[in-house]
Amino acid sequence: MSPTESAITLTVNGARRTVRVSPSTTLLEMVRTRLELTGSKECCAEGECGACTMILDGEPVNSCLVLAVETDGSEVTTIEGIGGAGMTPLQESFLTAGAIQCGFCIPGMVVAATALLERIPRPTESEVREGLSGNLCRCGGYSRISAAVMAVAGGNAAT
Amino acid sequence: MTWFEYQRPQSLGEASDLLRKDDSVALAGGTDLLVALRHRAVRPALVVDLKSVSDIAEGIEVEGDRLRIGGRVVMSRLTRNQHVGRHFPALAQAAAVVGSVQIRNRATLAGNLCNASPAADTAPALLAYGATVIASRPDTTRSIPVEEFFTGPGTTVLERGEIVTAVELPIPPTTIGSAFARVTRRRGVDLASVSLACILDPSGRARFGFGAVGPTPLLAESTFDELATDEGWSRLLAVTSPITDVRAGAEYRRAMLHVHSRRAFQAASEQLRAAT
Amino acid sequence: MTGAGLGLSTPRVGGTDRVTGAQRFAADIAIEDVLHIALVHLDCGHAAIEEIHTSAATGIEGVVRVFTAEDFPNPVPRFGPRFADRPVIATGETKYHGEPLAAVVAVSKEAAADGAAAVRVEYKELPGVYSIDDALDPDSPLVMDPGLRTGDDPLADSNVRQRWDWGWGDVDSTEAELVIDEIYTFPMVTHFSIEPHTFAAAPEGGGVTVWSSIQHPYFLQGTLASLLDLPISKVRVHAPDPGGGFGGKGFPKYEPLVAMIALELGRPVRLVLTLEETFQAVRRTNARLQLRTGFARDGRLVFIDAIEDFMMGAYADIAPRVISKSSYFAAGPYKVESVRAVVRGLMSHTTPSTAFRGFGAPQMTWAIESQMDAAARALTIDPVEIRLLNLAGPGEEIVPGDRPADGDWRQALNIAAERVGWGEPLLPGHGRGISVGLKASATAGASYCILRILHDGSVSLIAGTSDMGQGARTILSQLVSENLGVPMERVTLVMGDTAVVPFDYSTSASRSTVFMGSAVVDACQKAIAELRGKTAVQHKVSVEDVVFTPGQISIDGAVYTLPEVLNDVFGAVPGEIIVTGSQRGEGDANHPLGGPASFYEVSCTASEVWVDFETGDFELVKHITVADVGKAINPQHVEMQDEGAAVMGLGHTLMEHLILDEHGRIVNLGALDYRIPTFKDMPATMESVLVENGDGPGPGGAKGSGEGGLLATSPAIAAALSQATGVVIKDLPLTPERVWEAMHGGDEGHEQ
Repeated sequence: MSPTESAITLTVNGARRTVRVSPSTTLLEMVRTRLELTGSKECCAEGECGACTMILDGEPVNSCLVLAVETDGSEVTTIEGIGGAGMTPLQESFLTAGAIQCGFCIPGMVVAATALLERIPRPTESEVREGLSGNLCRCGGYSRISAAVMAVAGGNAAT
Repeated sequence: MTWFEYQRPQSLGEASDLLRKDDSVALAGGTDLLVALRHRAVRPALVVDLKSVSDIAEGIEVEGDRLRIGGRVVMSRLTRNQHVGRHFPALAQAAAVVGSVQIRNRATLAGNLCNASPAADTAPALLAYGATVIASRPDTTRSIPVEEFFTGPGTTVLERGEIVTAVELPIPPTTIGSAFARVTRRRGVDLASVSLACILDPSGRARFGFGAVGPTPLLAESTFDELATDEGWSRLLAVTSPITDVRAGAEYRRAMLHVHSRRAFQAASEQLRAAT
Repeated sequence: MTGAGLGLSTPRVGGTDRVTGAQRFAADIAIEDVLHIALVHLDCGHAAIEEIHTSAATGIEGVVRVFTAEDFPNPVPRFGPRFADRPVIATGETKYHGEPLAAVVAVSKEAAADGAAAVRVEYKELPGVYSIDDALDPDSPLVMDPGLRTGDDPLADSNVRQRWDWGWGDVDSTEAELVIDEIYTFPMVTHFSIEPHTFAAAPEGGGVTVWSSIQHPYFLQGTLASLLDLPISKVRVHAPDPGGGFGGKGFPKYEPLVAMIALELGRPVRLVLTLEETFQAVRRTNARLQLRTGFARDGRLVFIDAIEDFMMGAYADIAPRVISKSSYFAAGPYKVESVRAVVRGLMSHTTPSTAFRGFGAPQMTWAIESQMDAAARALTIDPVEIRLLNLAGPGEEIVPGDRPADGDWRQALNIAAERVGWGEPLLPGHGRGISVGLKASATAGASYCILRILHDGSVSLIAGTSDMGQGARTILSQLVSENLGVPMERVTLVMGDTAVVPFDYSTSASRSTVFMGSAVVDACQKAIAELRGKTAVQHKVSVEDVVFTPGQISIDGAVYTLPEVLNDVFGAVPGEIIVTGSQRGEGDANHPLGGPASFYEVSCTASEVWVDFETGDFELVKHITVADVGKAINPQHVEMQDEGAAVMGLGHTLMEHLILDEHGRIVNLGALDYRIPTFKDMPATMESVLVENGDGPGPGGAKGSGEGGLLATSPAIAAALSQATGVVIKDLPLTPERVWEAMHGGDEGHEQ
């Protein structure tokens, strides 16, 4: 039995894209395989790890729990859309804070932290921990990641 | 995931018709449904996305002595809403611990209820606050008290084609005390092994909602006088029937029910005293 | 700018790609025309396969073919790092929950998954061996076909795969004032790398090319060459940087299956495991450790008499090595007169256990250190004092005749005690614990590298270490930069392709800084010698007159930069300096472990907790780790790994355990119910302190590091809980429920 594919049009990282997808394709799968943006990662595939975090219409979501067809007309930002040509102060801060080990969780972490700082420009440390607790890092880099976020909070960054 | 068709109806009538089909399922935030689809726990032929149904509200409105939370309202919205924060703090607290930020940005209050998990985080607060579920079909609308909504793990009184368009809560006429508590295996994002909400009003009435300690979320009522005795507490908790599962043992759940119910009662009492 | 300098925290090499999403992990690499594989497994631990019906699956649009044991040579080829006991695909029966018995190949991941769901298997569930007690019960079924053992194995009719008897002195005649006799258990835990294992293969040039998220690409290359009867040169392994390994990606798992399917189909295929399948593929060896420990009145440890059982799983994988290498150090970092340890590696119908950060030492440390605390309580000696009394000082032996202590471990312990505020008054409900862990590093093994100084003076270093989060690229670049005086940004690392990168034994055992690091220093020295020699010829002076300092050469007061020298040496026709570096550990065939450890990794953990007595819930107020690292080439990298190890230790200490049901199924299969620490589970204060005495065998006196932080987590926290509550817990994890049970549940938990 073949699924009915349908064409959806959405804005990904500022560019309008039209893609034909089957209803059971997740946003994550579509972005990784059809749009060939592989920065967003798949780990648990059930919304527990945050490795696939994207910003959908202004809010961070687990893209593994969103059907691609749901995003028709939406605006999506992936890790590839953060910072454009250069790196954002937050990304720089991850580097200098030693927040990166294996790096597999990092794209999701950066997207989630970017969204967090949009909503709360001057978060407390506990707001950072709460805001990122949906992103797992098995290398255990939590304290350095939260230090990296705190370092740029409220425009602290030396850009 | 299995193959399915996807529809995004614009009207309640259309949505209701589609959902009357045997192997259709409703999609609200998708945070439970997509997990079930992935595990092939549900294998629908049709997924009906409710996000464009104009009759299902997206807002939170005060209507007279009631607060009406639209069927499309997501958890993060609840946590930030001033009316919810002011009148129903235990609900705001419960909504704030549903999954992660990413989950709360998708998961709806209505979906949390319809999924009917015994551990549904918002259910204890809704029970304690005396909320009603507004379920609609094109021709009929009914108000279902939350305590009558659940029929078992994963099941509700909703009939095929019936859609939750809102949840309503009576705004307390006087100052009340409230508390929310939860037992989890870790501090970050977790499913509850025990959850509860406690509402006290100045007349001496106590209402408790319990989660993860029975086949459905449970409501129990008592009075300050009753709760001055151990027997009173035992009677209050008699409604619960905790089991042992992967998240906790029955004995621990029972013990935590006692500890956290008393603590919640204490906290709510202090709030009430401070306000009156 | 010249050398990066040893001891400088230069930022992560490769960090930019990781923070922008540009880093390509194994599942991100585009492979043209690739087919997708989904595995079929049964919903029980042990079953006889009667019939596999594949027609419904092959009827699904997009499914190309379904492979079962019948599609492979008969008997199905077997492989494994210690014994060739693991079949490429299950044959006859499945021996653990999740063992693949069929592989569905399709044009899309979705079609492959649908195909896998459509394969119908007739099977009979068989009684299984799901616990240590099961494995030791003579009435239990044999997990391993006795025919697969060597002819005269006296253990062939049992589920004991291997037994070790360690010891020295005479336990029975050693007098002790106090004997502590307890049983400790350490549960099954899984690696949970955020990158699920990913494998791909394609036929190429009369051989096969494989992509794998593997830590030891050369081991995989050898395994495939031998299984496929190919020359090693015809097996090419691409090993992109793993997204977390922790030991779980060390040895081949499903690569042979994937490679054989690719060769059979003549097309590239890829298998990306689900997270659930990774739980079923890899785990830590669970253990039950029964220790009788004798102490003198003054707290001196005088004997250890132990029966130690480790449950390996359905196939041996590297578990025998995990068990022997950790249990051999029967008293950890302590001196002890006599030891008698009976150690058994047991087969079971569970996921094969494998290497996992700490390599058996966390299990051993849990028991040894808990015994030290029990003795301290019984003898009313301070837990720090009893450890200081028994720790081996530099040069003192921990196993007679073996490599003596190579660090000042008492110094590390004292630092941990000081940082946690040992001895300061405690608030009500608070408790502190302190603990020491020892892990032996690599015994034998070789690392090779190729170093090229290109004609503009930049450097290409070709080295086979896998950069899986430890920052190998950074460390090795720093060593090149330091030794040759070439700026970091002009050093490029080439890794992860066995066709161009020379042999490296493994990325494990915290060995890379010491082994590959030394190989890189060796290459740098050879390159310098060659530069000096060539310059001497060019300038018609003797080699002794050519002086190299990092970044430049001087002859009789005249100074030349590296690019100038290269230009000078090669003239109009560009060339380059190409040298190899190597570091070999030959081992010792007569040593029980195949050789003494090249260094010891020792770590101290000190923790303070606050316990909610009514609920058993507790908070980590302070968590200190102190690592004896010899020399931190990049302190930030060492600290971040040590902190990471501590967090991983918090996982198995506080919340992690795989739970099996009576059918041998993993009940908490998946991220929803197998919990690992999150941001909010961090201690309120966490510190990582490094001890640097330059007493290691690596560059600058470095030892390996990065595992130590988890060795001693469990006993330190358990001791803190005991101090706060008065109860003693001997089973992990220390969940609030378990703490509550110990406090409220009658006899259990109270010390005899």
